[in-house]
Amino acid sequence: MSATTLDVCNVTVRFGGVVAVDNVSFTARAGEVLGVMGPNGAGKTTLFNVISGVQAPTSGFVTLGGERLTGRSVAAVAARRVTRTFQTPVMFWGLDVRESLAVALGAREFGGTYPPRPDRALIAAGLGIPARVRADNLLRERASALLERMGLAHLADRATESLSFGEERLLEMARALAVEPVMLLLDEPLSGLNPDEADEVLTSIRAARTAGIGVLLVEHAVGELLSVADRVVVLDYGKTIAEGRGAEIAVNPVVIDAYIGDELS
Amino acid sequence: MHIEMASLWQYVLAGVVSGAIYALIAAGFVLIYQVTGIINFAQGEFAMIGAMTAASLNAAGLPVIASAAIAVVVAAAVGGLCHVLAIRPARKASGVTLIFITLGLSVAIRGAALFVWGTNPYSLPAFSSGNAITIFGGVLPPQAAWVLLADAIVFAALYVFFRYTYVGTAVRAAVASPAIASTFGIPLRTFAFWSFVAAAAIGGLGGVVVTPITSATYDMGLTLGLAGFVAAVLGGLDSLPGALVGGFVLGIVEKVSGGVLSTGWEQGVGFLILVLVLVLRPQGLLGKASRRA
Repeated sequence: MSATTLDVCNVTVRFGGVVAVDNVSFTARAGEVLGVMGPNGAGKTTLFNVISGVQAPTSGFVTLGGERLTGRSVAAVAARRVTRTFQTPVMFWGLDVRESLAVALGAREFGGTYPPRPDRALIAAGLGIPARVRADNLLRERASALLERMGLAHLADRATESLSFGEERLLEMARALAVEPVMLLLDEPLSGLNPDEADEVLTSIRAARTAGIGVLLVEHAVGELLSVADRVVVLDYGKTIAEGRGAEIAVNPVVIDAYIGDELS
Repeated sequence: MHIEMASLWQYVLAGVVSGAIYALIAAGFVLIYQVTGIINFAQGEFAMIGAMTAASLNAAGLPVIASAAIAVVVAAAVGGLCHVLAIRPARKASGVTLIFITLGLSVAIRGAALFVWGTNPYSLPAFSSGNAITIFGGVLPPQAAWVLLADAIVFAALYVFFRYTYVGTAVRAAVASPAIASTFGIPLRTFAFWSFVAAAAIGGLGGVVVTPITSATYDMGLTLGLAGFVAAVLGGLDSLPGALVGGFVLGIVEKVSGGVLSTGWEQGVGFLILVLVLVLRPQGLLGKASRRA
């Protein structure tokens, strides 16, 4: 598992005449945070869409551990435990926080990597079969434990509709971690957060790295990104203009010219 | 116009019985609408399939409870087949197209029923013998107890399923945000299939339990389906408790206005309610004002 890599190979995405992603290649490794930087419109979210199967690339492909992801459905990519979050978190409205996590925890077992036999699960649940009831209760307990670990235990019984934006972000992060991802794609996880909440997210990103998860991090807050990323890829107008360690990127004149400007000087 | 309290009370009781059936049909509308976004106008036909199958099996010599149980399974199978043969192949079509497909399904099922059973009404004995039930001077047939029991069991089971089981919670998550749910590997297509099976089983049960009171004909699904639809809209298409409330309100209003004015008004009042709800409170009594994509 620790040897798993996500390889983006010569990926190009064209929308009509616009080249959103232009021949981008990089490798993300398990147990490493790879920052993806670039100004608005640099192609970062499009790249995430290609990796997660939402968007088919015009050319190029993505592999996970040598297995091709490109051409598979969103659900099939998710089943290989490549999990993503979105710029605007989307909650399961109508569920409370613990239920949201239980769904994510169970989805893996239910429709993901295990042979999907939801019909059996449905019938068992409908008939109140004791083994299924125990499994359901166990899921709720695991969800509570995960909330505890993430420091969100106080939110467990809250309706997702009632969460603040920051709390939604933290729940989205917990929900993504619940599926024990191999690769975690985070799309601007710090935007809209106050400094305390941002610290919590950065802490979970570091914890995910320690747990051997590969993290791809798109983030506008350059200082925070450089503080947590092991390596950084910089995109501009869809092209890779720099790649390297955070400290190198911060002083790379091409990067400063294209993007950072006087932000770091 | 002078209406005695006693006869008004009798109309209310009669309305409770038809309302209980409407509530079951409405629950089918809500289940399928919630999971797939489709308004399934073949919903009433599932009740007809249940009713006619039970009546035929009983006429062939099977005990009434066994006939009823098999009929519910047959209705569920018809619902599953409808999804596999008609809905799933067209799942990329627009919502309006899918609704028209369900209208076509309802015509096809009714046509097949006419072919199999003809136009004669079929009857089914009451599930249990006994005296009429008297409530505050009003009278209900003994079968009414079975009708209300069916409602209690179905709605309690749905509540437990959605509230306490993992699969039910996953269905709610898929309803709330299908796109996100699918990124967790939640199988939306499987849920769509099972929503048709469950809705058909519930509708079939409704048809079976009401047949000893009303008898069954090949075209009973049309009226039941429309009443169930009105009840679902009245309660809110996205609310199972709404289906229960909508069913009973519609049943009682129909029977009372039918009794006070004339029986010809029963259905007319139902559609008047539909128009009023759509104009004044389109989300229904218990529905949410808008759905999040």
